[in-house]
Amino acid sequence: MIRFIARRLLSLALTLLIASVIIFLALEVVPGDPASVMLGVNAQADTVAALKEELGLNVAKPVRYLNWVTGMLTGDFGISYTYRTPVRDMIADRMVISFPLALYALLLSTLIAFPAGIIAATKRGAVADLSVMGTTQLGIAIPNFWFAMILVSLFAIKLQWFSAGGFPGWEAGFGAGIKALTLPAIALALPQASILARVMRSSLLDTLGEDFIRTARAKGLTARQALWHHALRNALIPVLTIIGLQFSFLLAGAIIVENVFYLPGLGRLIFQGITQRDLIVVESVVMLLVFAVVMVTFLVDIAYAAVDPRLRRRM
Amino acid sequence: MTLLIVSDLQVSIGGVPILRDIDLSVDRGKVLGIVGESGSGKSMTAYSIMRLLPAGSSAAGRIELAGQSLFALTEPQMCEVRGRDIGMIFQEPMTALNPLQSIGDQVAETIKIHTDVTRAEARRITLETLAKVELPPAEFPPSRFPHELSGGQRQRVVIAMAIALRPKLLIADEPTTALDVTTQAQLLKLLKRLVDEDDMGLILISHDLAVVANTADDIAVMRDGVVLDAGSVRRIFTGNRHPYTTELLEASTHVPASNVPIPKVDEAEVKRAVPLLEVRDLVREYKLPRGGLFKPVRYLRAVDEVSFSIHRGENVGLVGESGCGKSTLTRAILGLEPIQGGAVLLDGQSVLHGMERGLDQHRKMQVVFQDPYGSFNPRHTVARLVTEPLYALEVQPDKAQRAAALAEVLERVGLLSSDRDKYIHEFSGGQRQRIAIARALISRPSLIILDEAVSALDVSIRARILDLLVELSSSFDIAYLFISHDLSVVRSVTDRVLVMKNGRIVEQGETEAVFKRPEHPYTRSLIESVPKLSYVV
Repeated sequence: MIRFIARRLLSLALTLLIASVIIFLALEVVPGDPASVMLGVNAQADTVAALKEELGLNVAKPVRYLNWVTGMLTGDFGISYTYRTPVRDMIADRMVISFPLALYALLLSTLIAFPAGIIAATKRGAVADLSVMGTTQLGIAIPNFWFAMILVSLFAIKLQWFSAGGFPGWEAGFGAGIKALTLPAIALALPQASILARVMRSSLLDTLGEDFIRTARAKGLTARQALWHHALRNALIPVLTIIGLQFSFLLAGAIIVENVFYLPGLGRLIFQGITQRDLIVVESVVMLLVFAVVMVTFLVDIAYAAVDPRLRRRM
Repeated sequence: MTLLIVSDLQVSIGGVPILRDIDLSVDRGKVLGIVGESGSGKSMTAYSIMRLLPAGSSAAGRIELAGQSLFALTEPQMCEVRGRDIGMIFQEPMTALNPLQSIGDQVAETIKIHTDVTRAEARRITLETLAKVELPPAEFPPSRFPHELSGGQRQRVVIAMAIALRPKLLIADEPTTALDVTTQAQLLKLLKRLVDEDDMGLILISHDLAVVANTADDIAVMRDGVVLDAGSVRRIFTGNRHPYTTELLEASTHVPASNVPIPKVDEAEVKRAVPLLEVRDLVREYKLPRGGLFKPVRYLRAVDEVSFSIHRGENVGLVGESGCGKSTLTRAILGLEPIQGGAVLLDGQSVLHGMERGLDQHRKMQVVFQDPYGSFNPRHTVARLVTEPLYALEVQPDKAQRAAALAEVLERVGLLSSDRDKYIHEFSGGQRQRIAIARALISRPSLIILDEAVSALDVSIRARILDLLVELSSSFDIAYLFISHDLSVVRSVTDRVLVMKNGRIVEQGETEAVFKRPEHPYTRSLIESVPKLSYVV
């Protein structure tokens, strides 16, 4: 097991290295130079040159890449071209919203999907199953920004249970923070929960048809015991994969929902960074997301091993 | 004392009757064998007793276990009966166990759900039961997982689960069908011993009359959901029996009559002629996972310096247990995989391995696999499936020639030319195997490799397919490499036989000579393990 983790960590580091090169090169070929964007179209050539010098844009590319990577390793993500503040602080400010939001949405999605999937699988073909299948179909089809707006008009404007947007900051208290994130989390969780419930259902149905479930019934387990003791853990393996993918998506893919709710999250930061040619911000955020995706994949792999002894041995 | 009485059992699924008027009884300490071909309803009879019939089925009649009517019990009460009073063993040991739980936990579960014993006591019973099914804890600690055991060992775990609470009745549904002959012999012995020790009743379900004949006290023969013939083993084998039973007996000992007398081959001439297939010192190795980053790479030799040859029109058998390298050897001969040493010569030409295989070698050498369903693309018509090998011909036939070739081979294997537009799911197992043979035949090969080609078929269908193969061999002058774990089949159709063990050919010679006077101890043990119909027809 330890050897497995060590090996996975090594490949994780390699992935990150390759990703950093690709991100750096990709953004270098993007047209538009940050200095001219910052100073506007009327700027004088020598002013632009001076700013370029100041931002370190005149240094050779390999050197800039090395500076960027070594900087990140020591926690220094550089200074934003546009805002002149450390990128690290900007990311940290956004992370305290995006990370809890992604977790919250994932938690909601799992809490909805597991029971729904299990009920649908055990009552296959019955009303419960049909309604789960119908609802999830709808949940996948509805665009989440539209659903977000419906939520706002219902719960924030009409019932006034929640505020329509913005984030008071965690200083205002844990409860207030969670409250502000609730509607966005629901909007984000709906499609994810729908997908997850369907995966759970089909995976569980497959498992319930396996020979070892018949063996369990022959031992004298009731249908329900066979489900809980034998089917569920076996059905979990594909579900874990989806959960891992969803978390990575939720972390960065919330741009639209963040915009609807005026949440200063990572999605908006990266969007701003791109429009303002704040390359260093974009590079750093993308790198951070790559790191998050790779970490989540790593955790999912370990979770697999915890669930499945066959994988434990192969490690 | 009568333990189980089944009388007047009627079962239907979705309104379609599948079991009619079933009457059976099992005594304590006795073995009832239920024999029948696939679809005869033997497994459904078992599931009726367990009351584990598929959804949408309904059962009527009377089933009594030790005086208690099982149909009168509620589902929770029935759950208590299952595992405590009736144990059941299934055909597929590879999938019958939960892959995520240790074998000890799975055996202990039977004990825990039916009794209030402490954890320690449950563990003690588990260890005792595992030892009883000959999985001693020293070698097979209960912390093992199913994937760490072989098929035979897994089946022992399933048996342990079924007998942990010493049930009154044990139902074994094709318990040895998926296993090798030697493993089969050991398991049947084990079951027989358990019946004697615990005074259990045993229902042994099998398609193989010989398996049942050696173990059972009484036999019931089923067909199409009806018990056709029932009685003591002695009466079934010696007295007057139902014509269908006779048919089954004959089919399982069937020896295809070759319609052309085999010409006496001139040994010297054979030696001079180039053999059709020559395998020389063939080696196929697999890389094993490295022990560590700096440890040397280790290899598993699946085929270890194997040499043999097949002459034109000759039928050669290859026997051995699963894992002995038979299938790897087949793939190496066909050129489907790279080889690490030696050579395969077809008609004196070296068979190319890997991606760049010669068309000529495709045309001359064809293969029929075990699973007649899995080896066809379900979305293609029979016409497309069967004519596929024609692309290996040097001159591509036109449409009319293709159609003519197709019609001819379909007719030769006993199908109608109107079957050409059907899909594979519209055929029975035996018909599918005929289609597979037609596909192998269409390019007029000189050699057909039959990899367990009749193993999955019922005895009566198997007999007909064997007849077909023998007839085709003599009329088209085709040589067969007949790979099977079923020794009696190999004995009945081949001229020469190769015995394989751990990647090596340990014995080869004329089939009859090898079967009558096996020299290698392994061949001897293989032959002894084959269940025989002791009361010969």
